[in-house]
Amino acid sequence: MAEERTPLQGGNPGWAGETGEYGHLTEADVRGTTYVGKRPPEGTSPGASCSYPYQVGGGRPDAPLFEGPYRERLDKILSRYPNRQGALLPVLALAQEIRGHLSPESMAEVAAALGLAPAYVRGVATFYTMYHKRPVGEHLVQVCTNVACNLCGADEVLRAFLAATGTEPGQISADGQYTVIEAECLGACGFPTAVQVNDRYFENVSPEAVPAILERLAQEAAARSSAAARQGS
Amino acid sequence: MANESNETVNVTINGVAAAVPRGARIIEAAEQLGIGIAHYCYHPGLSAPAMCRMCLVEVEGAPKLAPACVTPVAEGQVINTESERARAARTGTLEFYLLNHPLDCPICDKSGECKLQDFTHAEGRPHGRSVEPKRVLGLDDFGGDILYQGNRCIMCTRCVRFMREIAGADLLGVVQRGHRSAIDTFFETGLEGSLWAGNIVDICPVGALLSKDFLHKARVWDLDNTPSVCPNCAQGCNVRLDTRDNLVVRIRPRLNPAVNSYWMCDYGRHQYEWLNQPDRVQTPMQRGAEGELVPVGWQEVLPALLARLQQRHGPLVVLGSPMLGNEDNGLLARLAGRLGGGTLRYRSAQAEAEVPCPGFPALARRRELTANGRGLELLGFQRTGTMAGEGGLTDLAGATVIVLGDALEDQPADFAAGVELLVVLGQRPTAAARSAHYLLPVCTCAEQEGTFPNVHGLVQRFWPALQPPPLARPAWQVLSVLLAGLDDGAPVNSAGGAFLRLGELYPEYAGLSYEQLGSRGALINEPVVRPAGKGA
Amino acid sequence: MAYPYRDEREVRILSAHFGDPEARTLAGWRQRGGYEALGQALALSPEQVTEIVKNSALRGRGGAGFPTGLKWSFLRNDGRPHYVLVNSDESEPGAFKDRELCRWTPHQLLEGALINAYAIRAQHVYIYMRGEFFEPAQIVARAIDEAYAAGIAGPDVLGSGVTIDVTLHLGAGAYICGEETALMNSLEGRRGQPRVKPPFPAVFGAFGQPTNINNVETLCTVPHIIRNGADWWRSIGTDKSTGTKLFNMSGHLVRRGNFEFPLGFNMKELIYDVCGGIRDGRSLKAVIPGGSSVPMLAAHELDIPCAYERVATAGSKLGTASMIVMDDRTDIVKQVRRMVEFYAHESCGQCTPCREGTAWLARIMRRIEAGQGTEADLALLVDLGKNMTGTTICVLSDSAAAPVLSSLAKFKDEYLALIGRAAPVAAAV
Repeated sequence: MAEERTPLQGGNPGWAGETGEYGHLTEADVRGTTYVGKRPPEGTSPGASCSYPYQVGGGRPDAPLFEGPYRERLDKILSRYPNRQGALLPVLALAQEIRGHLSPESMAEVAAALGLAPAYVRGVATFYTMYHKRPVGEHLVQVCTNVACNLCGADEVLRAFLAATGTEPGQISADGQYTVIEAECLGACGFPTAVQVNDRYFENVSPEAVPAILERLAQEAAARSSAAARQGS
Repeated sequence: MANESNETVNVTINGVAAAVPRGARIIEAAEQLGIGIAHYCYHPGLSAPAMCRMCLVEVEGAPKLAPACVTPVAEGQVINTESERARAARTGTLEFYLLNHPLDCPICDKSGECKLQDFTHAEGRPHGRSVEPKRVLGLDDFGGDILYQGNRCIMCTRCVRFMREIAGADLLGVVQRGHRSAIDTFFETGLEGSLWAGNIVDICPVGALLSKDFLHKARVWDLDNTPSVCPNCAQGCNVRLDTRDNLVVRIRPRLNPAVNSYWMCDYGRHQYEWLNQPDRVQTPMQRGAEGELVPVGWQEVLPALLARLQQRHGPLVVLGSPMLGNEDNGLLARLAGRLGGGTLRYRSAQAEAEVPCPGFPALARRRELTANGRGLELLGFQRTGTMAGEGGLTDLAGATVIVLGDALEDQPADFAAGVELLVVLGQRPTAAARSAHYLLPVCTCAEQEGTFPNVHGLVQRFWPALQPPPLARPAWQVLSVLLAGLDDGAPVNSAGGAFLRLGELYPEYAGLSYEQLGSRGALINEPVVRPAGKGA
Repeated sequence: MAYPYRDEREVRILSAHFGDPEARTLAGWRQRGGYEALGQALALSPEQVTEIVKNSALRGRGGAGFPTGLKWSFLRNDGRPHYVLVNSDESEPGAFKDRELCRWTPHQLLEGALINAYAIRAQHVYIYMRGEFFEPAQIVARAIDEAYAAGIAGPDVLGSGVTIDVTLHLGAGAYICGEETALMNSLEGRRGQPRVKPPFPAVFGAFGQPTNINNVETLCTVPHIIRNGADWWRSIGTDKSTGTKLFNMSGHLVRRGNFEFPLGFNMKELIYDVCGGIRDGRSLKAVIPGGSSVPMLAAHELDIPCAYERVATAGSKLGTASMIVMDDRTDIVKQVRRMVEFYAHESCGQCTPCREGTAWLARIMRRIEAGQGTEADLALLVDLGKNMTGTTICVLSDSAAAPVLSSLAKFKDEYLALIGRAAPVAAAV
């Protein structure tokens, strides 16, 4: 969320704005973070029109579901659909935001909250790839290897992420920080290779840029935890 | 297909022109014309998702083949199920079905009644073209009586839809997607909670859902199938008794749109071992000189019994059988009447409550857990004893007691002590039954023809599925001989005759015959209120 | 122009404000003429608005190219609740236009969606955005909040007395949810499986109610058509393909990105002039002109106008105008295998030909790529492709077969080279 440009090594900034003819744009301009403002994990509630989950890492598997601000978000979601079943996708995502992944218990709790059958909820949850049925690392790195990125070397980018994190696809790295997986088309074909890290896209990623991206993620994580520690003390 | 207005449209299917009900789907219209259309996901009792892609037919003028299970007929439609395109589509699709199928027919319980086998034999490619390794999912225990053999599953989702639409319990779902799809319950939660889950084994078109009870018991082509009526509650579900080596090995539902549709409950389905009792009364017996039971021939025992009955002094108590048909119980009541009248009773097991089928409310597992409680009440029998079908037989001192069918399992070995005369027309030689003065072997309802009226008064026929022990006779036959000895008409020589006799004796059955009942049954006439406990 | 490159020949209507952060905001959008068209539409009757869109001959930008106004006119004024769904589930390999439209011009989308809702008397708009698009989702959500606060969405839109609610709904990772009926199922909290049609969405759509569903790009054009008139839109492009279109250029191009041109713009010119041709001085081998679901074109087939009808004549489809350009070093077999694996991964699994067929194609392709294929495999691929075409509820199955069939028709020698190389190994197996 840096306001200033934070150039990365390897000649690749990691977002689309720094290629082509729009070099004057900052990362915030491209990502729209200034416009969007603060996000729920930092203390504000989502807007009137919806409540959408954030894929941010930091979920706790034992955290209570739908309490406090999360209850408000659940209620907001429910108010936007003509029936409770309609709320299933956003509510599953909310549960995943809170707990990091969707365990059988979480699915059962979501089913109870919406008055649905647990087996039905399981059927829906397993249909969609963004619901994690097992825990993932703090940073979920999804490397698009579909055709447009593949033509431009996505396989090497995937290998670079796997090598740099010392993992196999889908594994959690030893420090719990990273899970690297192959992703289907991320809808950023013009900026290959597209990589999604949690809720953020990195574009034009080359294998050389991978260490710098991981370095940046580590720095941000360290900054978040020290901020949390300050708040806690 | 239900069509209130009886409107029809004219269609031509495979060159056969016919008027079919407006709103009917092509697959149903073709069925009416005797044209079968291959299908997996479609089931007439469930919604149709049109996803198995087997029922694609050519509709003249349409650019694509149409799924016959959801496409409604339209006026002037020309449908061809055997066109080159339609056949090629089926053959092509069948190949996809076999791609991951293990082809383990030799060890599959479904073999012989498997739609994948049938359609592949009919129209599949003679040789598979896949050299790829097959997907392996393994066996999953769904709880209750159900096993899931995922490798054989063709993902027709009939089971999922049955649980949702008919059983009213969304206990099954498709998990994952694409070629990784499988059917599963919610993790360790099984199907135990549902009384209806057993039906998914019947409707599974392949060997993916298996009954643990039936597992590897028999090859289905070795089974004899007999239409029958489930004797295990007052609903009277139409069933088929599947037998092998003179044993019932499974009960499956048989279509009756008014009673049970395509379904039955698991309680009824699994209560069949009592029909297979190996321990039977083998010959007629009576007390010998030493007071011991002595086998005697029917020719001797019936005159002796008749004479003994005519000499009796005390009151008469008759115990009817809710597990035997109207014919048997009707003639028993008649006998009581001819012997001067007596107390008519029966004992039956009852459940705490009815369990209705959510998706087909006309169907319920009834409180009355026997087939003929309703019939007995009509004949003037009164229920006695506990919910478990025990007790209620304490005031028999000095009485003549005739017991039909009731095994007297709860009664002591000296049951006959204090009784003037105990006559048991029974199946099992229990201790109490063996205390009888006369013990006569009779058939169970699976061994003879007969009728049961269900909870709504629908009289339905059942047919003999098993061979009785050589000397056992249908009770109506024994009773009609006794009645003939009492100058009450000639002995009847068929169950149908006994039923006609019933019509002469009881206005509820007047005018009904086996021919009229057919395989779907007929309603009894308006019941007559008669004083309880008296024979006709 | 487009982002992140521009070209003077472009006709920038939808993409005029790409790269301009101010245009994102409500104030900025209003300064640029935003929400005037909504006001104009509200002054007309719903039927008049539909008529304008009809007259513009606008065709849906989601891939099928169905006439938009005609689709709107299917909904009757029947008193039932109507829904507008915005299809922002962009997942077709090659397509990346909706993401840019959402992230740079969220109000353009909202304005189009609100006009759409007014025209079909819908009181609720659901924007179904693919779950991976967190960044665009946040931007669109912010825009919706601004619109509510300014009385543009919600009860009494711009003081007209009309109620239109807008809800952003995020998907959860399923390509098939871009299919309109699968999207409806997904919105309703079901597995994203396409529905059998009929009934069509105009009769039985989201939540069982009449529903109109449109692609993001389609709706983004609507305010411009309302403001400038149907004739103006028809004056751009060809007779059958009116107006401008975002061309999503990816692959081995010197300049990649979105470029906005009138439909009918020459494909060769687009690739060689606008996008600067092929990188590293290489030559072109093949182009997939409309997203991975359409047949590929070989280098000699590119001198055609990019219009729906003309690309169809050339044996492919314009689809979403998402062009994936492959240079002469491209391993066609590998790329086709990758596409087929994608469809196998994304098949919903309902229809057997698709569920089993996509996975089977992928396995055969993997084997061929590994040098374990035989010539019989090629015939089998063609036959399976045919058995997967036209036999399923939706066209994902057809789409999976398309790259296989077209690559086998045009680049069979690449397959044969792999087979020839590995014949002894195959024999050993």
